[in-house]
Amino acid sequence: MSNTIQFKGYALTGKYPRKWSDLQVLSYQPKTFQPDDVEIAITHCGVCGSDVHTLTQGWGKSKLPLVVGHEIVGKVVRVGDNVKDIKAGDRVGVGAQIGSCMHCKSCESDYENYCPKGIPTYNGEYPDGVISQGGYSTAIRAHQQFVFPIPHEIESRHAASMMCAGLTVYSPLKTHGAGPGKKVGVVGIGGLGHYAVLWAKAMGAEVYAFTHDSSKMDDIKKMGADHIDFHKPLSRALDLIISTRDVFDQNMSLDTYLSMLFVHGKFVTVGLPDANNVLPETHAFSFVPSGCFLGGSAIGSKKECLEMLDLARSKKIKPWIEEMPMCDVKKALEGVKQNKVRYRYILTQDIENK
Amino acid sequence: MSELEFKGYALTDPAAWNEFSLVSYPPKTFLADDVELAITHCGICGSDVHTLTQGWGGLSHLPLVVGHEIIGIVKRVGANVSEFKPGDRVGVGAQIASCMECKRCKSGNENYCMKMIDTYNDVYPDGVITQGGYSTAIRAHQQFVFHIPEAIASKDAATMLCAGLTVFSPLLRNDAGPGKKVGVIGIGGLGHYAVLFAKALGAEVYAFTHSPSKLDDAKKMGADHVISTHDDDFYKAYDGELDILISTIDVFRPDRPLKVYLSMLGVHGKFINVGLPDHNNPLPPMHAFDLQPNGAFIGGSHIGSKTECLEMLRVAAERGVKPWIEELPMSQAKVAIEAVRSGKVRYRYVLTQDIAPVQ
Repeated sequence: MSNTIQFKGYALTGKYPRKWSDLQVLSYQPKTFQPDDVEIAITHCGVCGSDVHTLTQGWGKSKLPLVVGHEIVGKVVRVGDNVKDIKAGDRVGVGAQIGSCMHCKSCESDYENYCPKGIPTYNGEYPDGVISQGGYSTAIRAHQQFVFPIPHEIESRHAASMMCAGLTVYSPLKTHGAGPGKKVGVVGIGGLGHYAVLWAKAMGAEVYAFTHDSSKMDDIKKMGADHIDFHKPLSRALDLIISTRDVFDQNMSLDTYLSMLFVHGKFVTVGLPDANNVLPETHAFSFVPSGCFLGGSAIGSKKECLEMLDLARSKKIKPWIEEMPMCDVKKALEGVKQNKVRYRYILTQDIENK
Repeated sequence: MSELEFKGYALTDPAAWNEFSLVSYPPKTFLADDVELAITHCGICGSDVHTLTQGWGGLSHLPLVVGHEIIGIVKRVGANVSEFKPGDRVGVGAQIASCMECKRCKSGNENYCMKMIDTYNDVYPDGVITQGGYSTAIRAHQQFVFHIPEAIASKDAATMLCAGLTVFSPLLRNDAGPGKKVGVIGIGGLGHYAVLFAKALGAEVYAFTHSPSKLDDAKKMGADHVISTHDDDFYKAYDGELDILISTIDVFRPDRPLKVYLSMLGVHGKFINVGLPDHNNPLPPMHAFDLQPNGAFIGGSHIGSKTECLEMLRVAAERGVKPWIEELPMSQAKVAIEAVRSGKVRYRYVLTQDIAPVQ
């Protein structure tokens, strides 16, 4: 039983005059190890839009000093006494959630991602007051419900970003019936959006991709999208739209999207803008012509994550990634903020070598 | 050859929204799929108020007869009509035609046809303006005409055709029934029907109202829980509890963000708006974050299909569902419509046609 892992990570310390993307290696205390916990030595971590929103504090005040990162892959170094299905040496992933109450109605119906007491992988607070620190680091401890075995066939560098980006779009695609005979729109082809195209195709749906970036057109074709549109009006044909829009322009009405939906179609936003960026003004009338729905979605459950990994394995689905050592994290963060990434940065953990 | 005169109480001066003049008007061209009926009753709907006051938009078709909760006796039927015959007691609701050939019409979704025609204030392809039920007669495509079961009196059936159906359809489509918890926001014409039908379907019903005077009535209508929304914290006790919320909110207050209502839904629960405010009253501002905590949905619904209307009437007949109505002669439409506008009606007005006798 190894107790020798040092928890160190690239953190935003909050010490003036650092910029939001200037991170420094910091040691920190991990959560108190419990019988349901799994301790993981991290090898890879993806860079998520959430990391940017949290470090810039666009979502609100963050609890500094803070290590972000929630698309984690690593090797198990120890497990608590209650952990049966995971053992030391296993290759596993951890996503955007690290704890939940495990006994409410949501937790008991495979909706632990909707637990009102859910703990995010970073910037969250445990009942004992410890702040959760993320995966731009050497190690993490997570409740077993939030630790996912990675199939042999999927490389670590590919699995990493499936843990948040992949799962966050897989969950609504699955829940809202993406499959043969269904028309699925994806708005915004970035980290999450490109996964939505890949999964929706793998699930058998007909995919309409919407992007404002013409340089992505060829890539999107290669990802398998059936139709690529620049907001050309579609007459009320889509069953589901997954929106990864991260910034809402008040001048562009949601009607642009709602009017693309078939009867009882759903527009699901997984994109979460900064706190001061509300949805465009909408009238009740917008929902009448097709009895359509506007909703959101939060990550996914363990059940969905394992299904997603199995889909990736069986259909040999690989995300489009760019790799760099973790010490280059600033470059990656800035690249995400400026929409330069094609389509996810994966950081290789290099702190142990320092 | 029609013997029926088409005459109704119409808006002629848009500056005087509540003043009606009796006018004659040309009915739609009678076609092979049409049913012509002599009207005996017509309910007053919030839609009538929104239309007459121009809250939903400027009026370009004048004079205009509103009213789309219609009961009458069939006088003649077109050559393609076998479902109805003269003498049948039937109803017509808020829709009078659709294209009948699109994907939506062919899948029991004619109420979502993109070429649908509204019962009043709309235009037929040949240019005739649709005139509603505060009148002696109407012609409707047979798909939009419904037999009224014997067990239901005409005065009770009338308002089922818009108010009833508009809430019955989303209740049915969202599986309201035993084991489900249905919330109803706003206990007016539509809201009281939502309580009555949700109970008839077997659901557990939570009625939300800001009118203290309606709390007792809501209980009598069968609501299992009755909640006053006066208290700013009213929603906290119901966190994550409901499967569906039928909202009949007709005026959105900016200090009641939708997340207050969404918080009462369980995972992937639905908040369905059947209330349609004036065009200058949008939904309260929302952030994408408001939709996250339970992956809930905000949606809308438009009337219902014929299949659903007949099912609703069957359920009403079987379970003895009776609306809470007040009756007035049609010539007193002004009194009634003003009461609807000021929220005084308990819970629907039904006008009895008094322009021409119906044999």
